[in-house]
Amino acid sequence: MCLAIPAKIVSIDNQRATVEVGGLTREASVVLLPDAGLGDYVLMHAGFAISLVDEDEALETIRLFEQLAGGSFLGEGPSETGLDGLSPGGTGLDGLSPAE
Amino acid sequence: MPLSFLDDFRRGDHVRALMNRLEKSAAALERPVRIMEVCGTHTMAISRHGIRQALPPNLKLISGPGCPVCVTANSDIDTFIEMALLPGVIATTFGDMLRVPGTRMGLAEARGRGARVQIVYSTLDALRLARENPESKIIFFGIGFETTAPTIAAAIAEASSSGLDNFLVLSAHKTVPRALTALCSTPELAVDAFLCPGHVTAMIGPHAYDAVVADYGLPCVIAGFEPADILQSLIMLCGQLAVGRAEVALQYTRGVRPDGNPTAMALLHQVFSPCDAEWRGLGVIPGSGLAIRDEFAAHDAARHFQVDAGYSHEPRGCLCGAILTGLKTPGECGLFGKACTPDHPVGPCMVSSEGTCAAYYLYETNDVL
Ligand code: SF4
Repeated sequence: MCLAIPAKIVSIDNQRATVEVGGLTREASVVLLPDAGLGDYVLMHAGFAISLVDEDEALETIRLFEQLAGGSFLGEGPSETGLDGLSPGGTGLDGLSPAE
Repeated sequence: MPLSFLDDFRRGDHVRALMNRLEKSAAALERPVRIMEVCGTHTMAISRHGIRQALPPNLKLISGPGCPVCVTANSDIDTFIEMALLPGVIATTFGDMLRVPGTRMGLAEARGRGARVQIVYSTLDALRLARENPESKIIFFGIGFETTAPTIAAAIAEASSSGLDNFLVLSAHKTVPRALTALCSTPELAVDAFLCPGHVTAMIGPHAYDAVVADYGLPCVIAGFEPADILQSLIMLCGQLAVGRAEVALQYTRGVRPDGNPTAMALLHQVFSPCDAEWRGLGVIPGSGLAIRDEFAAHDAARHFQVDAGYSHEPRGCLCGAILTGLKTPGECGLFGKACTPDHPVGPCMVSSEGTCAAYYLYETNDVL
């Protein structure tokens, strides 16, 4: 029930938006996410946009997978965690940090 | 940005590389490790993608109390059913709840006895019903964690500001961090770390788990829902365990902001205040529920309708309570796959699309039967 799916905002008028998911459109409320704008990708839960999907972060994570899959990932030494202070330094992450 | 980037979180080569890395990380720990996946959506994803069976032998994933329908106490379900049976009422609920058996009957049977029960996808649909049926009272069954509670708060606030007095909510919401600290105090459980829910955390923010880390020393990683997300999160947890460190770390960086969603949480706190709440399996956890504040009392079904649902108890033979706390697995229930199947569920864990018994039945039956 805590499922939330990524959707694109294709029109927005005050607190009501239309979002597109897999080719279908649906009504959505953006009252919980006032910063959302036209063209943004948002996570939709029970008819409400609850969070923006951060494309840069997504690509950063994918880049890490690619390094790991391609064997170019060293991943032993300490790394920055990119957690905005949530995690004070790489040792806890086994070198696999979401952002470098 | 096309959403095709999501495929990268399922790609075979990525998943294999992560699994190889996880095997090394787990082997380096040289001891058995128990990690609880708190969220029902994670339980489903882990079962569906076969992750539980593919894990290194010393790593065990235990399903936790993160299925909102499942943790709703029978006393709350029975109360809602009594309300649904009242004349002039339209009972509205998210779909999974319809087939959950209460003590004497479920909502589906109440419907057979004349109750008007409507499944809604969103509180926005319930508000629409309230506008279209001014002669009826629309009661919404407010279940769910912090992902969902702000959407119910938004509906109550809108009903209040637009004078929609026939919209009421029976609030049985629960908050996740309180449940985790309650679980941490259960010595039999003995978990080493938590895989924390991505979408609850999109609302409450990662710091909501600080107490779990500070008071109990258990690592917490907030995970996304794709196979690669889950494996990366497990690697991060092993990394913390390897160096004997516990902290809150965020894997699901694309969905969760460091401060969560302050707008949603402000609305939640404007409409609800913390109260004690009864959880199936965990009993009453102080401060883990959300009561509708006095300012919104006109929309509080619990104050408006005084119903007596009588004595509530669990279905006979059902182990949902122990399964929700990670103390038992579905295979240990004598009814699993026999008297209890998704077509004929005995307990809520077999009904819900996020229930542990349903997830194991659909995807892991070979291992447990
Ligand atoms: S298998 Fe059915 S009866 Fe057994 S614990 Fe699960 S839901 Fe309850």
